[in-house]
Amino acid sequence: MNMETPVIELRHVDKHFGLLHVLKDISLKVYRGEVVVILGPSGSGKSTLCRTVNRLETIDSGEILIDGEPMPAEGRKLASLRAKIGMVFQSFNLFAHMTILDNLTLAPVDVLRIGKKEARMEAMRLLERVGVADQARKVPAQLSGGQQQRAAIARALAMRPEAILFDEPTSALDPEMISEVLNVMTSLASDGMTMLIVTHEMNFARKVADRVIFMDDGMIVEESDPEAFFLHPQSERARDFLNAVHSH
Amino acid sequence: MSVSNLLSQYGDRYIQALLTTWKLTAFSFAAAFALGVLITILRVCPIKPLRIAGDFYVQVFRNIPGAALLILLVYALPYLKIIFSYEVCVLIATTLIPSAFCSEHLMSGMNTIAPGQIEAARALGLTFFQMIRRIVIPQALRSTVLPMTNLLVATMLTTSLASQVPMRPMDLTGLVSYINTHATGGVTAFAISAALYCATALLIGFTGSLIDRKVRILR
Ligand SMILES: Nc1ncnc2c1ncn2[C@@H]1O[C@H](COP(=O)(O)OP(=O)(O)OP(=O)(O)O)[C@@H](O)[C@H]1O
Ligand SMILES: [Mg+2]
Repeated sequence: MNMETPVIELRHVDKHFGLLHVLKDISLKVYRGEVVVILGPSGSGKSTLCRTVNRLETIDSGEILIDGEPMPAEGRKLASLRAKIGMVFQSFNLFAHMTILDNLTLAPVDVLRIGKKEARMEAMRLLERVGVADQARKVPAQLSGGQQQRAAIARALAMRPEAILFDEPTSALDPEMISEVLNVMTSLASDGMTMLIVTHEMNFARKVADRVIFMDDGMIVEESDPEAFFLHPQSERARDFLNAVHSH
Repeated sequence: MSVSNLLSQYGDRYIQALLTTWKLTAFSFAAAFALGVLITILRVCPIKPLRIAGDFYVQVFRNIPGAALLILLVYALPYLKIIFSYEVCVLIATTLIPSAFCSEHLMSGMNTIAPGQIEAARALGLTFFQMIRRIVIPQALRSTVLPMTNLLVATMLTTSLASQVPMRPMDLTGLVSYINTHATGGVTAFAISAALYCATALLIGFTGSLIDRKVRILR
């Protein structure tokens, strides 16, 4: 039994979109320094699960805890818990009217009340780390997709998050830009960042995951270490999924 | 009367009237703008009754004729023991109506913001007001410079309502009525005012497109 408090914990979370039951009694723990990858067929509820963690989606029942603290449905407390959890989206979602640098300093200054100067220095250090420091003064539309996504990762890092959620961070990218983003994520993982990642990149998943969660039809069907999952999937559904992926 | 006759006799008054029109326009637009932003925040806030109130406000003032509103302010409010000077009544009317249109422009400006940016803002822990102030309003404003420019011109034309009340100093339209009751300026008196309105509108339009080019958001 692990006695440590998980950074992210979901307890019996249920969610419907109208009549559609998208999350069925989901319980999940992510511990500090862990990299958990969520796999599953399209429509199985991976994105919804990911977005539920910081309550971008409402839930019908169950509990979400960040560092052991229950996340309320609204209000200041929700905002301050959200600030602890970074999020990286498929479509980058950088603020279009700001420079890359301002994208990175906005929340640290406004939410964390870090001094402007310090925030800027930290931002430049992070942009350096993800390899887009030379783009700091440009606006998002002037960057390639891969550069935008790396800047978006840096924006999440600028909040000094306890964990980062990734929802298919490379799905909107041209093939030649996928690896530059995956490399940044791999380096984060080896630096001990806690991450919950939804991805269709199987090789990457196998390489970085400490644990794989396989979802189908709104349920967690299987949860195991990556080697076990990829070599000996337990469920019929996981086998079908892997076969379908490998035949591509 | 000829243009030169009119100008030599009323030139000073035309200048004074032009300045009055500018002053009314500037006050009204500034107030309408501030009010429009406020109403827009109500219309998107998480509290439903406030959203409904904001929508209602816009429906009312977008659809009421300026003259009708002015008549209400001048003749109906006193029944409620509220009496404003003529100038204030004009300013209220020329503020409320443009504020509704300002809000409509801002709402359409907001629609140009990708929903993902709002989610990103929420995920970063920004509160509703931080998000409005730093993400939503700046983008809405920067993408609506041209409609706002048109609104400024429309606001200027609305200030001609001032001619309907005995206000001193007179605005450009009020001066035309004045001249035509004291002399026979005829169409020429109006043409001079019209030229001054047009010149101002052109200036506004030119400045507007300069600003638009400068602040437009690259997407
Ligand atoms: N906002 C929404 N309203 C209604 N239904 C939704 C909404 N978002 C998702 N769904 C539905 O919920 C189910 C789960 O969607 P979700 O996006 O979580 O799947 P996913 O596993 O991320 O799929 P993909 O691999 O295609 O991204 C799908 O059937 C989807 O159509
Ligand atoms: Mg998805």
